[in-house]
Amino acid sequence: MLSRILFVVAGLLGFASAQAAPDGQALYIEHCAVCHQFAGAGGIGLPLAGKKFADYSDDYLFKTIRLGRPGRIMPAFEELSDAQVEAIVRFLRVRTGSKPAEYDPAPLGGDAARGKALYQKHCVACHAEDGLGAGKGTGVSVARKRSFLVMPAAIANPGFQRAASDAMIRQIITHGRPASGMPTFGKILSQQEITDVVAYVRELGKRVSPPEPIAPDEKPSHVYESPYDFETTVKNVKQALTGNNFRIFPDRFLEQGLTDEFSVNRRQVGIRFCNFNELYGMLNIEPRLGVVLPCRITILERPGGKVLLVVPNLRVESRWFNNDQLVRLWDHMEETFSEIIDEVTL
Amino acid sequence: MNRWVRYLALGLLAWSAVTSAGQQMLMARVAMKSDLAMEYLRTAIEEHGYAVAHVQKCDSGLAGFGFHSDTYRVFFFGKLEEVRRISEKHPEFSAYLPLKIALEAEKDETLLAAVDPTTFERYYAKDRDMIIQFRRWKSDIRSIFAEVRKVAGDKVVQAFQP
Ligand code: HEC
Ligand code: HEC
Repeated sequence: MLSRILFVVAGLLGFASAQAAPDGQALYIEHCAVCHQFAGAGGIGLPLAGKKFADYSDDYLFKTIRLGRPGRIMPAFEELSDAQVEAIVRFLRVRTGSKPAEYDPAPLGGDAARGKALYQKHCVACHAEDGLGAGKGTGVSVARKRSFLVMPAAIANPGFQRAASDAMIRQIITHGRPASGMPTFGKILSQQEITDVVAYVRELGKRVSPPEPIAPDEKPSHVYESPYDFETTVKNVKQALTGNNFRIFPDRFLEQGLTDEFSVNRRQVGIRFCNFNELYGMLNIEPRLGVVLPCRITILERPGGKVLLVVPNLRVESRWFNNDQLVRLWDHMEETFSEIIDEVTL
Repeated sequence: MNRWVRYLALGLLAWSAVTSAGQQMLMARVAMKSDLAMEYLRTAIEEHGYAVAHVQKCDSGLAGFGFHSDTYRVFFFGKLEEVRRISEKHPEFSAYLPLKIALEAEKDETLLAAVDPTTFERYYAKDRDMIIQFRRWKSDIRSIFAEVRKVAGDKVVQAFQP
């Protein structure tokens, strides 16, 4: 009897686990809420709410999660299973109370040349000449200063281009995104004109080029040998930083706070510096900057007296964010860092 | 033949640069105000055996620049033994020591983020100790985030009405 009950219980458990579908809401909270907020109001990411979902096919949502937006912050969720991605899509459907739209995947064959003129008249102010979005940053970024109510999406982005069909893009333009400030173009342009704009949006997609890749063996930090002793090196670094308009914070030993003040190795020190104007500009582009906080030069005295300067490599660090705006800015800033080091080690 | 392999490799590299949306970040949203989240984050870090070396304020004057958030902190944390051993053997890695977690207020909620330490694995492919170290750090950071999220509880997800 007991064994029969156990058998039945085991059977039920087995049945339950075989049937348990992935929990879309839990997956959303774990993977998406950080950028799109719990309720889908948008954050670093676009709002995931409202009437616009009636324009989206499930295929578009599925592919958007899978592909992400290369160079535009949203990562590709490659490690989720198909069943998990489908569960997130179902959750978004239930939450927005929307039915999936169905589209013919065939290209619409509009006239890109005519579309170009219309795009430049009606879209450029928000989506920019290159279709990568005007202004700094993305989404609604609650805490950030924004130049738009919702930052216009990068419609030339390869993730969007691959996820969306021509017919869906036409529908988006026709309806617009009134809640986010994008006009309802169905009232302004004819269907033929909108089809031409779609053709030009496809053109823009072909022209996107990601920032220059870096060599796979480029290291995340640079190490330089100082020709001077420890004290002189520290003094030179501070002088060079002040000369380049950086504000310097109090030094911190590498081990400071990890042990008592008598045991700390005082021949390993971090010189921390900042330029507030630039920092705030960068936070608009990339709110997660604090994870690297690159403005520190570490000076180490090695056994034997050799003095090393260790400086983060901005070209490598910027590429951890999936954010092309940051990559372009830091590829440039890396030169400033090198110049400072040259000043110090010459 | 060799040349073709090289072209193919370069082509693949270029292709992956265009299409991959790789990200080396660990992140979490916590349904809790930032002042409380800071307390819980500190506790969770310490419970995982690390010392919080210091907390850097990056928000002085943020509001003056049009930001709505005035809480942006970076928690530096580590274990003396690890920092000592690694900076000795790999001075180049001292740029990334101690470890960091960024904390940012978003109204009544808080965002946590850190670089995924396993991002560094490719630079230490032959150093088993470092690889294990990176994986432990990753596992610890995820567990720290999970702990703070657990205390806060997840918000019931009601649809946002634009
Ligand atoms: C690291 C931040 C981040 C995470 C995590 C993230 N997204 Fe996004 N998402 C974005 C950004 C940024 C955009 C808008 C890109 C742009 O501005 O061009 C976006 C756009 C989207 C869009 C397109 C919206 C539209 O109206 O067409 C969808 C759908 C979406 N995300 C779903 C998700 C889902 C589902 C998840 C979780 C599996 C997720 N995102 C995780 C940042 C993120
Ligand atoms: C006033 C600014 C504005 C104008 C003008 C504008 N847009 Fe938009 N557009 C936006 C914003 C903001 C979004 C994101 C809205 C959202 O998802 O809530 C968007 C979204 C889109 C999307 C969907 C992208 C995605 O990832 O979901 C497409 C496609 C698009 N716009 C095309 C166009 C075209 C084509 C034009 C010109 C005919 C145009 N837009 C004009 C602001 C604008």
